[in-house]
Amino acid sequence: MAATKQKNLWYVRQARRKRRFTTLLTVFFILVQVIWVGVPIFMTVLWSLVDPSHPWSFPNILPEKLSWGQWIYVFKYTNILRALKTSYTLAPCAVLLSFLFSLPTAYVLGRKQIPGKKFFQTIVLLPIIMPGMVVALFLSRVFNAFGLAQNFFGLVLAHTLMGLPYMIRVLTTSFEAIPQDVIDAAENLGANTFVKIKDIFLPMVRPGLLAGMIFAFTTSIEEFNLTFIIGTPTFETIPTILYSFLGYNFIRTNASVVALIMMIPNIIMLFAVENFLKSDYLSASLGKL
Amino acid sequence: MKKLLVMMLAMCMLAGVAFAAGPSIDLKTASWDSVVAAAKAEGSVTFYAWYFPDYFKEAAADFEKQYGIKANVIIGDQTANFNKAIAEKDMQTGTIDTMIVGGQWVKTTTDLNLFYGPIRNILPDASKFLTNSWELQEGVLINGYLAPFHRNQPGILYDPDRVKDPPQTWTELVAWINAHPMEFGFCDPSKGGSGQSFVHTAIGALAGGLDKYKGDKELVPAKVANWDLVWKWFNDNKDKMTITVSNNDSIIRMNGGEISMTVAWDDNVKDMISKGNLFKRAKMYIPKMGLAGGGDTLGVLKNAPHKAAALVWINFIQSKEQQLKKFQMVGAYPARTDMTIEGTLLTEEDRKNNAIPWFPAPYKDFMIKEFVKNVLMK
Repeated sequence: MAATKQKNLWYVRQARRKRRFTTLLTVFFILVQVIWVGVPIFMTVLWSLVDPSHPWSFPNILPEKLSWGQWIYVFKYTNILRALKTSYTLAPCAVLLSFLFSLPTAYVLGRKQIPGKKFFQTIVLLPIIMPGMVVALFLSRVFNAFGLAQNFFGLVLAHTLMGLPYMIRVLTTSFEAIPQDVIDAAENLGANTFVKIKDIFLPMVRPGLLAGMIFAFTTSIEEFNLTFIIGTPTFETIPTILYSFLGYNFIRTNASVVALIMMIPNIIMLFAVENFLKSDYLSASLGKL
Repeated sequence: MKKLLVMMLAMCMLAGVAFAAGPSIDLKTASWDSVVAAAKAEGSVTFYAWYFPDYFKEAAADFEKQYGIKANVIIGDQTANFNKAIAEKDMQTGTIDTMIVGGQWVKTTTDLNLFYGPIRNILPDASKFLTNSWELQEGVLINGYLAPFHRNQPGILYDPDRVKDPPQTWTELVAWINAHPMEFGFCDPSKGGSGQSFVHTAIGALAGGLDKYKGDKELVPAKVANWDLVWKWFNDNKDKMTITVSNNDSIIRMNGGEISMTVAWDDNVKDMISKGNLFKRAKMYIPKMGLAGGGDTLGVLKNAPHKAAALVWINFIQSKEQQLKKFQMVGAYPARTDMTIEGTLLTEEDRKNNAIPWFPAPYKDFMIKEFVKNVLMK
């Protein structure tokens, strides 16, 4: 009896310890999020609202006066509306094209044994390893030669090239993770290629696909170098405006406004995509759900 | 079918030649009225800058109203603008008509033969600007290819609440730096002209003056042999100074209280104050030890699709009305000599007595490279 009581007490203590540990972890997580995400966003919002005639200066902890002056300035004196339209038309097109280009590549790299597989897996990452401006300067020659500069299709292609490495890498990993016995079982039950694609491959790579789409989308939204070289003056995107305030001529207040304009739709998209990621086919296939 | 293809090809080639040839008149010999008429026929101009979006957007509207020519202003990043111009250099027809040429790009772009010209003799108001500003920029011979459009000047910017007696001479500055470690800032000279100006002054003070470099077209190794004294001073005092990453970064750090005195451009300072990025109490002067200034210029690209319109745009920006408007909107000091300006951050007396010319370009280039090698990388 006493031994059972002792054991129960031990379980209660263990449960309490676990709860405390979970609480500690949660607090740590919230703290990290606040410092890492919350504070920069809060500061960006504050800087974007600094009234132009009341600078936010040392030793003031907070701005003296807030106003929409910086926002009005950006909308009045930059081509931000044109840039927004171009960016958010360009990005979905680039994502779609990246998906179409990367799907067969990722399938081969993920499911087939081909000679030099590791080499190809590394090669596809080159555009993101090399400095952006170097890629842009070399590619711009090719784009100019083929008449792809200063036109929308050329820009879509350029953004696709920059998003492809992410899409291919993530999709390759997703294809690799599909258990062979699931495919074998489907084949034993008479599934043809179409059924296998529809019922096994696509559902199982969906989380990877969505992650790849997020990468490709944000890469397109943030792409500056190639767009600037081959797109302007005909097309301007949000980063071309952002860099005018963030680069050599750094103006924090205006840069904050453009950064927020660029960030808000991306955050909405991330939350939307997060909903799709919830159904985890891979875990289900392995009996983990 | 074959005939049709040949005809189409011939038409395309003809169209290409006609397009690349630009205006049918010789802009260098034509009357200004003919240039304006050609510009109107071209219908638009594309201009690349990296600052003052507010002023240039309003100027574009004024320009369109006055001439009926659409001005497409692209505000990019300085380095990106030049990378684009250089990337398009070998194209028969580029996409940029005219652009701002920052001080540190004068030599590179001149060496690359990027600009059309000389344009000095085409522009009707050329005589209203200092002769020297058409010939020499940042120590580089420009021979009338680049048009001056404002004169900016670095000075010492300080917070009067924290600096009561700002230094005038090199000795006073060194003493001040020793007494206030890390409170004096200057920009990495490879990243901004204000830093270059400061290092230039340091060379003058520590390596036997600046007169000996005058008129040199090539770098004379014997004259830079004692520059190691300069680098030694920077290394010995590196821990007492703040080296910032851009002209604006110096101003931003002062606004945040990290430093209380820095070297900055006068127009940058005015612009930052007007946008709420620097406190209004800030004061500025050119010290007696001297700081070299300059001014950005405008150039017409050799492969510009609208050369006549680009020239009319430059002439418009150089006009008295626009020079004044630019000063009123963003504080950029006019380059014209036939107008007087009030309400400047730096006094006329300071400009007259303490603004000094740059040493020739080969020395400036060498200075930047050596500073990076001997100070930043050590």
